[in-house]
Amino acid sequence: MQDTVTTSALLDPSHSSVSTQDKSSTGGHTSSTGPQPSKPSSITPVPAKSRNPNSGANFHRMRRIIAEDPEWSLAIVPLLTELCIQHIIKNFQRNPILKQLLPEHQQKILNHLSPNLPLAVTANLIDDENYWLRCCMQRWPVCHVAEHGGSWKRMFFERHLENLLKHFIPGTTDPAVILDLLPLCRNYVRRVHVDQFLPPVRLPAQPQTGDRSDSGSEGEMEEPAVDHYQLGDLVAGLSHLEELDLVYGVKDCGMNFEWNLFLFTYRDCHSLAATIKACHTLKIFKLTRSKVDDEKARIIIRSLLDHPVLEELDLSHNLIGDRGARGAAKLLNHSRLRVLNLANNQVRGPGAQSLAHALAHNTNLVSLNLRLNCIEDEGGQALAHALLTNKCLTTLHLGGNELSEPTATLLSQVLAINTTLTSINLSCNHIGLDGGKQLLEGMSDNKTLLEFDLRLSDVAQESEYLIGQALYANREAARQRALNPSHFVSTITASGPENSVG
Amino acid sequence: MLVSFFLRQYWEPLWPLCARGESWVSVMEALGEYLDGKKESEEDQSKSYKQKEESRLKLAKLLLCGTELVTNIQVAIDIREIHRRVEEEDIKRQRIEKLENEVKSSQDKFDEITSKWEEGKQKRIPQELWEMLNTQQLHCAGLLEDKNKLISELQQELKKKDDQYVKDLKKQSDDICLLLERMEEQVKNVMKTFREELYHIEKAFEVERQELLASNRKKWETALQAHNAKELEYLINRMKKVEDYEKQLNKQRIRDCEEYNMIKIKLEQDVQILEQQLQQRKAVYQLNQEKLEYNLQVLKKRDEESTAIKSQQKRKINRHFALIDDEKFREIWLMNEEEAKDLIARAFDVDRIIHTHHLGLPWTAPDFWFLKNVGPISQQPQKSAMQIVEEMLLRTEEEEAEETASESESYLELPKQISEKTAKRILMLLCDESGFLIESKLLSLLLPLEQSECYLLRLDAIFSALGIESEDDLYKLVNFFLQYRAHHLSSSLQSKPCSQASVEEAGVEGTSMESELELAERTEMQGEKEESLVEGKKEKEKTPASPWVIHPNDVLKILEAFVMGLKKPRDSRAPLRVQKSVRSNSKDSEYWQALTTVIPPSRLNLWDALYTALEKYHLVLTQRAKLLLENSSLEQQNTELQALLQQYLTAKINSELQVPPTQVLRIPTK
Repeated sequence: MQDTVTTSALLDPSHSSVSTQDKSSTGGHTSSTGPQPSKPSSITPVPAKSRNPNSGANFHRMRRIIAEDPEWSLAIVPLLTELCIQHIIKNFQRNPILKQLLPEHQQKILNHLSPNLPLAVTANLIDDENYWLRCCMQRWPVCHVAEHGGSWKRMFFERHLENLLKHFIPGTTDPAVILDLLPLCRNYVRRVHVDQFLPPVRLPAQPQTGDRSDSGSEGEMEEPAVDHYQLGDLVAGLSHLEELDLVYGVKDCGMNFEWNLFLFTYRDCHSLAATIKACHTLKIFKLTRSKVDDEKARIIIRSLLDHPVLEELDLSHNLIGDRGARGAAKLLNHSRLRVLNLANNQVRGPGAQSLAHALAHNTNLVSLNLRLNCIEDEGGQALAHALLTNKCLTTLHLGGNELSEPTATLLSQVLAINTTLTSINLSCNHIGLDGGKQLLEGMSDNKTLLEFDLRLSDVAQESEYLIGQALYANREAARQRALNPSHFVSTITASGPENSVG
Repeated sequence: MLVSFFLRQYWEPLWPLCARGESWVSVMEALGEYLDGKKESEEDQSKSYKQKEESRLKLAKLLLCGTELVTNIQVAIDIREIHRRVEEEDIKRQRIEKLENEVKSSQDKFDEITSKWEEGKQKRIPQELWEMLNTQQLHCAGLLEDKNKLISELQQELKKKDDQYVKDLKKQSDDICLLLERMEEQVKNVMKTFREELYHIEKAFEVERQELLASNRKKWETALQAHNAKELEYLINRMKKVEDYEKQLNKQRIRDCEEYNMIKIKLEQDVQILEQQLQQRKAVYQLNQEKLEYNLQVLKKRDEESTAIKSQQKRKINRHFALIDDEKFREIWLMNEEEAKDLIARAFDVDRIIHTHHLGLPWTAPDFWFLKNVGPISQQPQKSAMQIVEEMLLRTEEEEAEETASESESYLELPKQISEKTAKRILMLLCDESGFLIESKLLSLLLPLEQSECYLLRLDAIFSALGIESEDDLYKLVNFFLQYRAHHLSSSLQSKPCSQASVEEAGVEGTSMESELELAERTEMQGEKEESLVEGKKEKEKTPASPWVIHPNDVLKILEAFVMGLKKPRDSRAPLRVQKSVRSNSKDSEYWQALTTVIPPSRLNLWDALYTALEKYHLVLTQRAKLLLENSSLEQQNTELQALLQQYLTAKINSELQVPPTQVLRIPTK
């Protein structure tokens, strides 16, 4: 008995590692066998013989058996470091050791860590992009890392948070689910993009609302009960938050449509206003498709007055009328706003006039989008007048605004004078043939405009084509300027056309 | 084409756009043609650049068109939405108008009905009332019917809207599908075109590269050929040159070899000459070394001599100074002593006077040893060996001359009771035998001198060589000789007993050297006591026996032994002299101290007492003298005064001064 133990201990590590299988299987036999007379060597080569009770008796024989074992391989025992790394990987969840190791070992561990480890362990410990890449790839089939600043870690946390918020049901889901994540993601999340906020579930009321939805919405009565998730705590905790992109509504409701799925309540509005007011790092704020009317828009805009860093405000696809537009006009000169998007609202002439008044002497705004409003010639003329003095605006979108010839006349004057505008969109208006000719005249004096969209504007094809030629010349000139370092380098290069989607 | 088909299908009602969509393909074609024309015109620019420009333009156009195509959907939807809104607005307005009209008409009806109720209240006849109620009912039903109709209409509309909603949803999904399709198409198209363009560009580059390569290769080949030709030329040139140089090198080598041999021979000769010179130099050097060594030796000797002379001179000078010091000391001593003696004599005079005159005692002059002493107290100074020898020689010469000499002095000189003659003979013997100790130079100098002086100088040299300096050393030497002789004698006596006639008590002596010495002394003493010429002669006869015994051959042995023995005690001699001088000093102080105490203290006390008594006596006497003087002066005054009185009394004036009383009275009355 003793002999067998010692001989096995004497074996080379490589042999022992290979033979562990055999020994473990034969262990019971070998311990029971005494030093019996060895069998002739001619019989031993068969691997099955290793299970023979006599196999462990002789050291030499043992060697021979193993040498002729088909399972035996030249692979040596992995290095101790390798083993340690394997162990660390296996027990990373309980005992995360990473920072103390050498860089190459760290890399090895990171390459083998499971993406399913709890975030509490990995969030603040691992900065390796590759690990987070694996995490992202595992969770989402499509990943646009460019939308998240090129950082996989940021992407992971932003999308993770977005997912939680999207599926948060007030009153049902525990708010701690989100707040627990806060300490882990606070340093990585820069953008919160949520395109749906679920309303609270009211199971007993479900059939009622289902019935009533047919006969007209009665949601106003129950409004206090349908508040959405309050972002205040979350946003206050995110120290690097730069962008908020929110939609108070339900996605993909299809035939289950109900009006009170799309209720942006006053409480929601007030809390959101307070939240964005408190967030001094916010640069981009988007609140779209949320039925924001004049009153709510004014509440939100009021909270954004004199915001230190806000650059972009997007309130498209809402119900903002002239009063909301007036508020936005006030905001223009009380902030550093560079981009304002009021597309698909209900702004009419007076709202556009107030915006034009603010725009006349504004030096911050670069882009203004009033698509699908109804400013008509009254507002269009006012805006054109403002552009005669404005020296900052580069992009203007007035598509679908019932504009007609008088606006085009004024705009042609603007085109001749203005040297900052690079993109104008007048599609879906009633410019008319004469208006088109006037615009063409204006274009002949312009050297800076790169895009001019006149589709479906009742303009003669000839004028449109000629305008296109002028634009092409301007684009070529701009490209030459960009290539030639001695000239002023324009921010908008020849690749500009892609932006025309607006 | 598929795209345009979709486009057409989608934009059926909007045919201008459709035309645009169709024109897209033709635009592309036109563009291609345009570019082709352009290509030919710009042949001068590089192919790749042209291709790049071309592709860029083409792609830009493609992108623009494609984007337009995609965004067309949005625009179309926008305009549809606008149309819808306009329609909706119209419908809405109509509906509102309709509703308002309806409200108005129904209000009218309602008003009519309510007014009829008032009428009905006044009706008293039941039939009329019933009739009226019936009509009222009819009216109300009509009103309700209108309302219901309206409601149903609106509901109908709502239903339509719901249907519309479903349709819209479907349409939207269709739109989105179309959009997606177009985007996909666009992406595919763009990718395809990009790939094509890339391929074209690559091809252009390839062609350009090929051309460049070909032209460069041509250039390279021509250059290489030229280079090869040149290389060959250089090679031939070089080979020629190499041959040339080789020849030159050989010549040079031969010349150098000859030159080398010549120089070698010359240098070897030089080396030989130099070696010879070296040998000569070495010889000279050795010679010089020997000379110098010899000189060094000589100089060392000279140095020694000079040190010896120096020390001698020093000694002489010291001796000279010592003599002068002694003289001075003696003079000062004498002067001081005289003074002291004077003082002592005066003191004795005074003492004598005091004793004889005042005390009436007989006075005897004190007698002290030191009073008779004149000159400094000192022991006889040690004489140097040479002085003694000199004296001795002189004396012996005198003796020889006069035969009789004052022996007493000589005995004083030789306290060890060695006869002068013996000593002299021994010294003479020494002088003769140890001539080797005297330098040859000195001997040559001594030749013209007298015999005695010659001896003296010779002895001086010998003594200096032996290290004998003082009187004691001399005596020791002489003694040593005598002892040696005695020793020798005793040994000879044993062999030849009583051969010596002069020895009377030969049996007694012979044991110890002391006894023999005593014997010799005694004999001499005897001789002295007798004080007779005969005995002196006897003595002479006897005494020579002793030195004769010393064989001249033994002298050297004795000297050797003596020198060996003398070495040890010499060291301790220097401090002895110092002690001597100290001792004399102490005696001096004693002497002078004694001089001060010539008058004993008891006598001084006596003097003191006498002095005080006499002083008192003197005081009394002076007082008395004063008193006597006073007395005499007083007496004189008295006599003078008496004389004066007498004079006054006898003067005439007295009578003149007597005034009669009458006169005295008269005056006041005036």
